[in-house]
Amino acid sequence: MSYPELFAIASAVMAILMIGSGRLRINLLFYAFQTVFASAVTASCGLVSGDHQLYSIGLAILLVKAIGVSAFIAWITKRIGVTSDPGTLIPVPLSMHASIVFLVVAHLLASQLPHLKGQDHSLGGATAAISLLLTGTLFMLARKVAVSQIIGFLTMENGIYLFALTQTRGMPMMVELGILLDVLVVVMIAGLIIFRIKRSFEHIDVTLLTELKEY
Amino acid sequence: MEDSLIGPILLFPVALAVLCLLLGRASRAGLAVAAGGWLYVALLAVQLIPFVLGVGGRLPLLPGLALEKLGACFLLLTAVVVACALSHAHAFFSSERQSASSPSDRQVLLFYVFALVFLLSMSAVYICDNLGLLWVSIEATTLTSAGLVYFRRDKHAIEATWKYLIICSVGLAFALLGTIFLFSASQHGLADGGSLNISDLIQQAPGLEPTLMKLGFIFCLAGYGTKAGVFPLHSWLPDAHSEAPAPASAMLSGSLLNCALFALWRLLQIASGVPGSHFCQEMTLWAGIVTVVAASLFLVRQHGLKRLWAYSSIENVGLMLVALGLGSAPLFLLQAVNHSVAKVSLFLLSGNIIQLAGTKQLSELRGLWSAAPGWAALFALSALAVTGVPPFGSFISEWLILVSSFESRHWLAAVLLLLGLSLAFIAVCLHAGKVLTGSPRSEIEPARTCSRSVVPAALVLVSVVLGLVIGPDFLRAAL
Repeated sequence: MSYPELFAIASAVMAILMIGSGRLRINLLFYAFQTVFASAVTASCGLVSGDHQLYSIGLAILLVKAIGVSAFIAWITKRIGVTSDPGTLIPVPLSMHASIVFLVVAHLLASQLPHLKGQDHSLGGATAAISLLLTGTLFMLARKVAVSQIIGFLTMENGIYLFALTQTRGMPMMVELGILLDVLVVVMIAGLIIFRIKRSFEHIDVTLLTELKEY
Repeated sequence: MEDSLIGPILLFPVALAVLCLLLGRASRAGLAVAAGGWLYVALLAVQLIPFVLGVGGRLPLLPGLALEKLGACFLLLTAVVVACALSHAHAFFSSERQSASSPSDRQVLLFYVFALVFLLSMSAVYICDNLGLLWVSIEATTLTSAGLVYFRRDKHAIEATWKYLIICSVGLAFALLGTIFLFSASQHGLADGGSLNISDLIQQAPGLEPTLMKLGFIFCLAGYGTKAGVFPLHSWLPDAHSEAPAPASAMLSGSLLNCALFALWRLLQIASGVPGSHFCQEMTLWAGIVTVVAASLFLVRQHGLKRLWAYSSIENVGLMLVALGLGSAPLFLLQAVNHSVAKVSLFLLSGNIIQLAGTKQLSELRGLWSAAPGWAALFALSALAVTGVPPFGSFISEWLILVSSFESRHWLAAVLLLLGLSLAFIAVCLHAGKVLTGSPRSEIEPARTCSRSVVPAALVLVSVVLGLVIGPDFLRAAL
């Protein structure tokens, strides 16, 4: 198992640990770890392929997504004073078990994908990517609080990023930066709206946002 | 050379936005924006019409950016829609400020700025020649239009904005995954390391890896479909259209939905060259049929005026998807133009009516005919135009879509489409009829209707002209 694969799987495991807690601070901590590993995958891919652009992308991810975004969300949760997420129909321990099953499913799916020649860390990378994507989706579905929705979205985004990194040879830099910027802006805007939700509704439980209905 | 001018023209909205901020007062900015919007349309028309009518097929602008004829038409349509909405907005906001829930000067000013940046992001969609940049532009349209939906800053607006932002962002995350699949497909198939460049991909389509190509297309259909309001993924659309102020709803419906559909058209252009990928077209066609049928069922039981038109937009998105699935770019464009013209008029009029009656509940809106006959007539004509009644342009496009779905032997699809369209027509007529007839619930003082009728009246006229001018030619060609 190569280093990129090892880091990718570690990132997926961090996501599984993340979904295993109902406390927002712990969720956020594991999101940060997961993103640190994603940046480690980037750097080690750069080491293997000799593409030095990947170092700077890895560094950008570490600074912007792992540190910057985590700190921003931590600041929001502190300001709003919400510490935990009770979860929806799916209880927290069960969702962790489901995400372990997802890792296995992801491995089966990844082995079905055609392999890129000269990319030896493709299978582990695809497994981790699909697992992160599924775990992030489950996290969004299984949690109530608006902050959790953002963390789930960011986890999905990490999965997509890892997929791009391990299944293709070098996305164009322009596109990569555009995507990073877009994600950053989504998080900023969503964060500001959360303040507004808190002020107008006096809670941030998105399952209770049901005033706009058909009937 | 004309290609040197289109780039700077596209940056014109940004200059206008800066001017708005410098003017600092909403009333002055409103006039500047209205004038600037039409100036922008004129500049674009001077540049684009010779290109569209000319022989050249493709106009490269910058690396990764190029303009094609269909894109040029949509660019112009987008500019016209935004100019209409913004020139109506000035009158709309001045009467809004006499009502109880008056928006502040700053809110209106920010509205203009967001609308102009939104225009820029939508224009970017049509000049992208790169799948990655296309994704970035579409995501940018979400972010900039969130500011428009958020305009009123009350509970409903916050809820609608949150849902819009989260649902569209998650949907577009899947479109990004699809884009990566397509990139991967090109790297598997092509010798030179793959590409995201759309014109390269179209040329080299037979070499793409078919499995990854199909997977990529499915994810992109789900992703961009979310943004366009395809049936099971449409839930953000009625909320956002209903809570945004009327000029913003008009822009969302008349121009934003076209952007997402245009992205799907670019993907279908690539897919049509891949051997054995006929199923991409079929899938788009059926997504369209399902959307038309579902939206017309939703139309029957509606309780909000603007939600009604939002579902009618979903129905029209379904029709455009059918046109895409049939592989016909002219039909797609024709339906988009006709829908945009009629729907912008309807949303702007609905905004006026809601201001007049003070409610958007369909059960409380009665007697428009006796309260404001001018608006009532325009409202009735626009509603008929949107459902595709003969003298109007949308009749031609809906008729041609039906005919070509029969010709391509999609019997079941065509029958379902016919049923859906009929049901939608009946539902819209019933709801609109109730709004027009009866006696008003409360005494409504006659409003100064003149300044707020100009744009809708012009659009109704355009819709009739579209039907009368292009109608016979198209019909002769089809029959």
